[in-house]
Amino acid sequence: MSVTTTLIEISVIMSIMFAILFFMYYKYLTGKTEADVLADENNYYDYGSYLRENKRKGGFLSTNNFILNDSKSIGMRYIMTALTFFFIAGSFGLLMRVSLIQPNPTLFSGREVLYDVLTTEHATLMIYMWALGGAMGIAYYLLPSFLKVKADKYGSISSTAYWIYLLGGVFILLSRTSTRWYFYPPLALQLNPYGAGAYNWLAVIGLEMIFIGITIAAIVVVRMIILDRGENVPLTKMPLFAWSVLFTLLMFLASAPFLMSALVMLFYDFFNPIFFTGVAGASSPLSFTELFWIWGHPIVYIAILPEFGLIYEIIPKFTGKKIFSYTSGVIGLALLMPLSELVWGHHLLNSGFGLQWGLFFSTASFLVVIPSAITIFNYIASLWSADKIRLSTPMLFVVNGIFDFIIGGITGVMQAMLVVNIQVHGTYWVTGHFHFIFMGITTGIIFASVYMLWPTITRGRKYDQHLATWHFTLTAIGSFVMSMGWTVGGFLGMPRFVSGYFARFQVYQDIAIAGGVIIGIGQLFFLANLIKSLLDEPSTTTNNAFEDEYTGDENEVGSNEPEPLKNPTAVGGE
Amino acid sequence: MNKKMKIEAMWIIGVLVVLAAAAGLNVYTTGLPAFSIATKETSGTHINPSNHVIEVQGEQWAWVFTKENSTGIHTCTDSLTIHVNTTYTLVVSSTKGSHKLAVIHDLYIAQFDIQVYAVPGQNNTVTFTPIHTGTFIFECVEYCGYDHYIMRGYLTVVK
Repeated sequence: MSVTTTLIEISVIMSIMFAILFFMYYKYLTGKTEADVLADENNYYDYGSYLRENKRKGGFLSTNNFILNDSKSIGMRYIMTALTFFFIAGSFGLLMRVSLIQPNPTLFSGREVLYDVLTTEHATLMIYMWALGGAMGIAYYLLPSFLKVKADKYGSISSTAYWIYLLGGVFILLSRTSTRWYFYPPLALQLNPYGAGAYNWLAVIGLEMIFIGITIAAIVVVRMIILDRGENVPLTKMPLFAWSVLFTLLMFLASAPFLMSALVMLFYDFFNPIFFTGVAGASSPLSFTELFWIWGHPIVYIAILPEFGLIYEIIPKFTGKKIFSYTSGVIGLALLMPLSELVWGHHLLNSGFGLQWGLFFSTASFLVVIPSAITIFNYIASLWSADKIRLSTPMLFVVNGIFDFIIGGITGVMQAMLVVNIQVHGTYWVTGHFHFIFMGITTGIIFASVYMLWPTITRGRKYDQHLATWHFTLTAIGSFVMSMGWTVGGFLGMPRFVSGYFARFQVYQDIAIAGGVIIGIGQLFFLANLIKSLLDEPSTTTNNAFEDEYTGDENEVGSNEPEPLKNPTAVGGE
Repeated sequence: MNKKMKIEAMWIIGVLVVLAAAAGLNVYTTGLPAFSIATKETSGTHINPSNHVIEVQGEQWAWVFTKENSTGIHTCTDSLTIHVNTTYTLVVSSTKGSHKLAVIHDLYIAQFDIQVYAVPGQNNTVTFTPIHTGTFIFECVEYCGYDHYIMRGYLTVVK
């Protein structure tokens, strides 16, 4: 077969493909124009919201979420993506945990690199796809009704941002990188299975894409909060969740450029190692670690701030009273934003920067406690002053989250002290510290919100209370056991991110494995609940408890005591 | 000032008191003789291995300790023997070994409260004085590739 024949075949195939693509685009455009006209006639600002509200389309597992471009559909997309990646990364976590049952590698014996890959993927995907994506999804879903937005004009931009973000996550998954979520350079530049993994460059591209996607989405959401609020929602009476999202995204926009530029330099290093190699003439690898942690510390607040805001929204639904103090709630969230940007150096206390550096950053780290304490006080006071608290599943997650956050916060203050930091830096203590917070606040509150949104997500089904209670109980107990095993073992010197360890640490590892397995079993109850709901017939309206307060009447937001829930059964009430 | 604000102010003052105490304790403990934090060696002041100065090189994946005494230079890998009640200075850096680039490691001796990063192209120093005899563990706690977990060993303190 000659070259000419091949070329002709290729061009024919390409012409046919273009014809098909053009036809699809034509059909899409016609349908969109018709829907636009219809939406315009019915006073809707875009066809997505029109279709969502009038045709009862676009629920959970509906492809419409991925085609329609209104904020609610995009929110659902992010939530579905986050849940999917939660289960992927969670099973990675479970697998690597079980592989640590013996001091010497057993499950991955001779293939220890598999452990490194699983751990890196677990951390990276959990942070960027679950914590960040889940918060982004709930923000996109709730804010339009919380703020009664006038116009939702940036759907196509948000949609583009979502696809860039999703592709970035998939790239990280495909890259099988084993460089730890830090991407510390001389190791990240070793493109072989013994270093960072052969396809680490793909992970760098993927991470950069996640940043680009979330940056675009952050600008859209910040614009929605500041400029597109309804006339009767003044800034000073905005729901606390909107405040928390605003602060989170401003924090993101302020700190992300540091790592974005560092990643570009790292990518250049793959071809021409001049930036972070540490050889004579190049800059020190520590310069990358500085750039990384200027971003890397705010990310851990980005993962909890929206959830703090969600707790403020959830508590009144179950106590029937307003939150204890709106003003100190806003102050607490607002202070976290600048203070968390000041403390990143505490991740590098032992790198040779010396005593003065250490004292500055450890003192700054103490200051972060103040806004956290204000916030926690506000929660406890709200619960304290309530006449009656209904302990349904979302509320149980909230109470457990507050409990876990107190433990995680205290261990955090302890490790900010220089003398303790030398003892616990790089050990499982740190892993325990942030899993207390990430399991209690991030994961717990996103799940609480999913339960609150259940009738909407599943198009009119209630969740099974028994399964939900089991899900909560196992998640809470499992994460406590796991994190406690790590915290105690880490204090005695158990290093983290190792596929084998000294035999003296086996008891702590085994406790943590037990906890991890309990968490894993707990998540199966969530899946069972989801499947059960989808098999059931619809039994309630598609309203959810989050938005009840904000739909319908023309009252100013926040001016009244919250009303009793319109359909209490939807959130698992009596 | 209503009751609500009073409770809130009391809470915040309580937190501030605890934090001030913690910050004071933090500064106080850094002044104790046993305390030593990793500090970058300035150029021109490099000290060569001697009786009390131990050069530590991290490579993928082993720790190499170099000591010098009257009988000559001694090098040992993943193990170290030192004397009790003697003040030692560790000079820690990273070498590339058989690999193309040196990477970041982190030497951690849990029972001595010593932790110091091994950064390519930089010498970090830290001092410590063992006061008990026995066998202690040391580990690498900064992920450095495939066999990161075997970068560990025993440190023996003798009379």
